[in-house]
Amino acid sequence: MPGYEVPRKFPTTVVGSYPKIGPADKAIKMRRSGEIGEEEFHRIARESIRMVVEDYLWAGVDILSDGEQTREDMVVYFAERMDGYREGDWVRVFDNVYFRKPVVVGRIGWRQPMILEDWEYARSVAQGRPVKLILTGPYTMLEWSFDLHYGDRRELILDLARALRREIDAALARGAEYVQVDEPALSTRPFREEAELLKEALDIVFRGVGAKRIVHICYGELERILPYILEYPVDQFDLEMKNSGFRLLPHLKEYGYDKEIGYGVIDVHSFQVESVEEVKEAIDRLMKADIVGPEKVYIDPDCGLKRLPREIAREKLRNMVEAARLAREEW
Amino acid sequence: MSDVKIEGQVLGGYPRSRIVRRALRQYESGSYSLLDRERVLHSSALTVIGVQVGQGFPYVVDGMLDWHDIFRPYAEAWRNVTPTGLLRYFDNNFFYRIPLFTGEPEPTDPVLAPRVRSYAPIAEPSKLKVVIPGPVTFTLMSSNRTGVSDEELAEAIARLLAEEVSLAVEAGAGFVQIDEPILSDPKASKDHAALAAELSSMIASRAGGAKTMLSIYFYSPKPEVYEGVLETKVDYIMLDLVDAGGAALRLLERKGCPGHGVGLGVVNARNVYSDEYEAVKGLVEAAMKACQPEEVLLTTSTWLDLIPYKYSLRKTRLLGYYTHRIAGEMGALLALAGGE
Repeated sequence: MPGYEVPRKFPTTVVGSYPKIGPADKAIKMRRSGEIGEEEFHRIARESIRMVVEDYLWAGVDILSDGEQTREDMVVYFAERMDGYREGDWVRVFDNVYFRKPVVVGRIGWRQPMILEDWEYARSVAQGRPVKLILTGPYTMLEWSFDLHYGDRRELILDLARALRREIDAALARGAEYVQVDEPALSTRPFREEAELLKEALDIVFRGVGAKRIVHICYGELERILPYILEYPVDQFDLEMKNSGFRLLPHLKEYGYDKEIGYGVIDVHSFQVESVEEVKEAIDRLMKADIVGPEKVYIDPDCGLKRLPREIAREKLRNMVEAARLAREEW
Repeated sequence: MSDVKIEGQVLGGYPRSRIVRRALRQYESGSYSLLDRERVLHSSALTVIGVQVGQGFPYVVDGMLDWHDIFRPYAEAWRNVTPTGLLRYFDNNFFYRIPLFTGEPEPTDPVLAPRVRSYAPIAEPSKLKVVIPGPVTFTLMSSNRTGVSDEELAEAIARLLAEEVSLAVEAGAGFVQIDEPILSDPKASKDHAALAAELSSMIASRAGGAKTMLSIYFYSPKPEVYEGVLETKVDYIMLDLVDAGGAALRLLERKGCPGHGVGLGVVNARNVYSDEYEAVKGLVEAAMKACQPEEVLLTTSTWLDLIPYKYSLRKTRLLGYYTHRIAGEMGALLALAGGE
């Protein structure tokens, strides 16, 4: 596999999910109805993963993902593959779209690799570019499941963390360089005790991990818990910034932020494609705020792109990559 | 016997049963007619109304089974508003469509009154409750491209909602609930509270003889926000005692509930376990000791549409049973549909 040199300044990346394309949607339905098993499911989804990676390569993104093409939902996917969960009853996600909100009914445990096959396939077609291993974090798994077994949030989240760590260890053995844990639920409850609960879990998830350790958090009032999350055992916080008008920047400055930052410059809720100039201005804004140097800044969208039409997602990424290229020349 | 009057009441909408989900899907795909869809919705609404009536609740909801989110019926019915992209609804794994206001909203056909006419006769001896999004929550959770300020947009929304309420009460609604969950958000300010109080009071003034309630759920409002909404001219102010826990109780201890009855969200509408009686009773006793209200509504902590259908029915039955038992054990007057 040819090597790929990730730019030293402003490397571009994605948060993870991408619009479902190719046969992924159909494969999810076929698996759910029992028409195909797990092995066949991932085999069919490869075509979708390949198309996603091709879109990333077309746009010029440096650090890729598998587009989470096999994940019907970020929590359900993992719950279906862990011990301790059972399929829940139908709960609405939006409009008339429902998912089976998983229910914890026993001791949580890791059974076997859950996402490694898709991740490895993405790596095999990424033309040497690194592919992040992306998992739903223990706090989000906790918050977006029903619990009928533990009755104790701390016990449950720590077992979730242990299970996720097993997956990470398996990926590390296969050469994972970037490990990202998604915690969108954290910012929806921006309270000190919640932030501290996640820290305890992340100590399990990331302690001693030799790859780049990333936690993605988006939306909500993150500034309320910033002082408590800065001690998390991670190398990088991947943060939504564009949608909230870069409101967090002065807070990062105030607290002397010095980790790497995944800097969200693309609004994933808007169908309007950000121009190159707009994205470049956002990067300039971070640089002028004088928080971290350009070698610590990863340029990416605010969050996963799954709710966008594919063409819009592609164009947004393309402009983002071009803006990062221009920023490298200037900073 | 205590002078306190206690009644039970489900806070808002119900989840869709399998048959409703399928009917809406088939209607959207063109394989169901509008009549087919309405028939399924109507019969399913009767079920959720019946479950509540069976508990003796004086006021019941129709379940709002056809609403995709709390804003949607208005975003679809009013001119100059369109439902757009998805955004997470507070801290839930549920997304609503952001209403995009491109001009001052204008009414078309009323949203609430026709459903009140459909369901009020069926709900007897209970009366129908209508639930509307509070104008501050509606505004702050929308995209405002009208060229006017958020405050002016909220006022315009409030005027339309007030008209909705007036027509609904004329049609037979006996209770009006105004939902302002945004006031529990840490970003909510005293100004938001003052605006919510002013606009909710204006809406409530159009409710005629119907009872009115301002409900704040998902967490506890900050003390200064709660203090601001105490100015609201409604019959009840409801707080979520499940998710807000001790914070809401402390608010009641410090600020009381002067001039209002109190709505206590004590049955967890966001989890599927069966709430323990002693825990629920403990919350009610603590709240009543804190603010000594004359009238108490025991409610679910939020709408029931965030949990599966079968659990929503179970929670309704729990709420009814606990309301009866708590009122009995406390020697309070239990308000029941059709007479006390």
